[in-house]
Amino acid sequence: MKVAVVAQRYGQAINGGAELHARYIAEHLARHVTVEVLTTCATDYVTWRNELPEGLEQVNGVTVRRFRVARERDPLAFAQLSKRVFDEQHSIADELAWLDAEGPTSRALVKHIGRHARDIDYFIFFSYRYYHAYHGVWAADRRAILVPTAERDAAIGLSIFRPVFRSARALMYNSPEERAMIQAAAGNEDVPSVVVGVGSDVPPNLQPGRIRQKYGIHGPFAIYVGRIDENKGCKELFAFFETYLRESAGRLSLVLVGNSLLPIPTHPRIRHLGFLDDADKFDAIAASELLIMPSYFESLSMVALEAWALGRPVLANGRCDVLKGQSIRSNAGLYYENEREFVETLRALEQNRWLTGSLGKNGRHFFREHYDWPVIERKYVDMLERLSKEESGGSRAVDALPGWFARRRRDCRAGSEVAASLPAGPCRLAPSARPDTRELGPDESHDVAAKPAAAPPVQGRHQRGRFRGRRGSYRPRGGPAGHRGSR
Amino acid sequence: MPDFTVRSDSVNVEQIMEQIRARIREKRGVDYTEDQIRELAAVKLEKFLDPRGVRSDLLEEFRRTQAARTPPAPPNYAFGEETLFETHRAPLRFLRRLLNPILKLFFNPNPLIQALHIQAELNTLNAQRETERRGLDQLHFEVLHNLVLETTRMSIEITNLKMRVESLTGRLEFNERRARALESVVAYRPAVADRVEPSPRAVPSQPTGAPPPAPPAGGSPSTISGMPEGPGQRSRRRRRRRGRRGGGSAAAVMGSAVPATGGSTPEPMPSASAASPAAGTDNSSEPAEAGADDPTPSEPSGEQ
Repeated sequence: MKVAVVAQRYGQAINGGAELHARYIAEHLARHVTVEVLTTCATDYVTWRNELPEGLEQVNGVTVRRFRVARERDPLAFAQLSKRVFDEQHSIADELAWLDAEGPTSRALVKHIGRHARDIDYFIFFSYRYYHAYHGVWAADRRAILVPTAERDAAIGLSIFRPVFRSARALMYNSPEERAMIQAAAGNEDVPSVVVGVGSDVPPNLQPGRIRQKYGIHGPFAIYVGRIDENKGCKELFAFFETYLRESAGRLSLVLVGNSLLPIPTHPRIRHLGFLDDADKFDAIAASELLIMPSYFESLSMVALEAWALGRPVLANGRCDVLKGQSIRSNAGLYYENEREFVETLRALEQNRWLTGSLGKNGRHFFREHYDWPVIERKYVDMLERLSKEESGGSRAVDALPGWFARRRRDCRAGSEVAASLPAGPCRLAPSARPDTRELGPDESHDVAAKPAAAPPVQGRHQRGRFRGRRGSYRPRGGPAGHRGSR
Repeated sequence: MPDFTVRSDSVNVEQIMEQIRARIREKRGVDYTEDQIRELAAVKLEKFLDPRGVRSDLLEEFRRTQAARTPPAPPNYAFGEETLFETHRAPLRFLRRLLNPILKLFFNPNPLIQALHIQAELNTLNAQRETERRGLDQLHFEVLHNLVLETTRMSIEITNLKMRVESLTGRLEFNERRARALESVVAYRPAVADRVEPSPRAVPSQPTGAPPPAPPAGGSPSTISGMPEGPGQRSRRRRRRRGRRGGGSAAAVMGSAVPATGGSTPEPMPSASAASPAAGTDNSSEPAEAGADDPTPSEPSGEQ
């Protein structure tokens, strides 16, 4: 079996969440099937500038084929279009223009997928929101497996993505929350799917003492690993931690690991170590008392999984459904939704060693059960085998883009508005180890905080079928398989 | 920190979070959401509550300004059925009347006349309402003025109350410190007195002919089983004993002659002479020590 992994960027030096995810999956799948990676020459996700050579390359034993990006991103145009599609009533043409502006606009990559669609058994696309995934899913012609890596942001509310979620042969979700959100947005419950996530290669011989010695860290500390950015909730983290320092008699320090885009408060108990290599990062997590994850938007926190793999509890932002859900399902972390809760949970974790130990132990167990590499590989291989046994292309009709005039009709709701109306809340049951089209109905599993009264806003002129039921489950109106209509 | 009901294999994160939230609610008193708190904090009351911002002659000033700015009554007109055709020239009037049917061949002026007539009436009504509103404005402003005054007064009162609370807190803290200082003094002084001059009441309690208690070479005169004891230990023991007595009043603790034993039967304060080892099973060394601690009967020892 030949599988192509399609990602917006790829390389050993590229550490973005979805890109790292794609690399790990490609490298681990290569043990079971023939894998080729299709990607762009870009390394910077803001400009998509072509920085790597076009053509074939080997990265950790995996063949990587790079394609040039036709044009760099214009930040101003992208910002204007983002504002239009996220905050205002707009048209499908606006959304397509936004997608083009977002990039990476690599037509050569999409053409390659179209030309070789029959030579490759399955294309695994990462990150639904980029140009390569949207156009690639169409070009792959019923051989597309999508790893959406979707967060609860306004992009999920755009109507152009709904047919993509419905047209993929299968979806590999990162979390039950992500699956519930996408199913509510797109009504794609009938598409085969499985909650997989990603594993992590934890080094066997950790030396927590070494990192303390190297950076002169004394006493207990909480650690944050990742980009130090306001979008990641770090500004709030600083404010909350300073309150903790003022109000609590605790001894915890905060150690920050990662590149900083924010001014870091000057305080003897807040340390910034900068970017660390993997060995140092794991040592630092192992030396810490707990990991703090202040991000609001996560599809899956790999760092949290790594902390659990090392038996460290996690203190997560409870306003991120995925993190809260993971904490609840694993019983391996606490969460906060405001400053008081942050201070009290941190204090509880610091003062109650019994609690910290139990949470860490649960975390290790949770990681082994759901995110160890053999489990992840098995889920992917099972899905590939299952799809290959199915009839070619499944039995679902593929939605077509509307005509020229319909695409320009400004009747699409603002993306943020649609995203806000999607059901929210953590999923309490652990993800199943076996793939299924309906592992868990969102109704069965979700603590729906904001469930819409009527059917979810799955609308738009892509729709060729009709919706039934309050969850808006999609029932195609028959017709032969693989109908694409005119694009 | 609360004692979480955590067992090793059955940690329930949601349960723990509930406990933490309950604790926060207890501390805060009212369970506001974070958004509600932010909303409350965002309301700018200072503008109204600042007593310096309130003018005593506000109402007069307003009246004066209003009087000066009273606009003239808006122009109006009367519009009747014949207004369109009226003129002071009789022949012209006659001609218009004569040709009126011809005019009505081209258009119907009646709706126009009707509309303009209604508009004239509306203008009159509007002018009346405007006059009434001006009168009400005066009243509204008076109410607003009174509200501002009252709010300002309340703000000042709150400030005063806050200051009083702070003052009381300060006094309370001072009293607590004083009480602690007194306790330590009481704990320490008898030892000195004991070493320098034994209590006149303690002397009779000694067996006749026995020499007065001599201070040990180690320094502190008071010993239990021959071990030297500091004032801190003694005060701790006193606190323990006070706890065992089950909540005697502060006066009793600080030297009342009638302490409550076991919380029910009042007993006379055991003096050094009356103290016997049978007074308690677990503190058999206390009476002797009490005698040593009480150099004078009148001095409050806190050791009842």
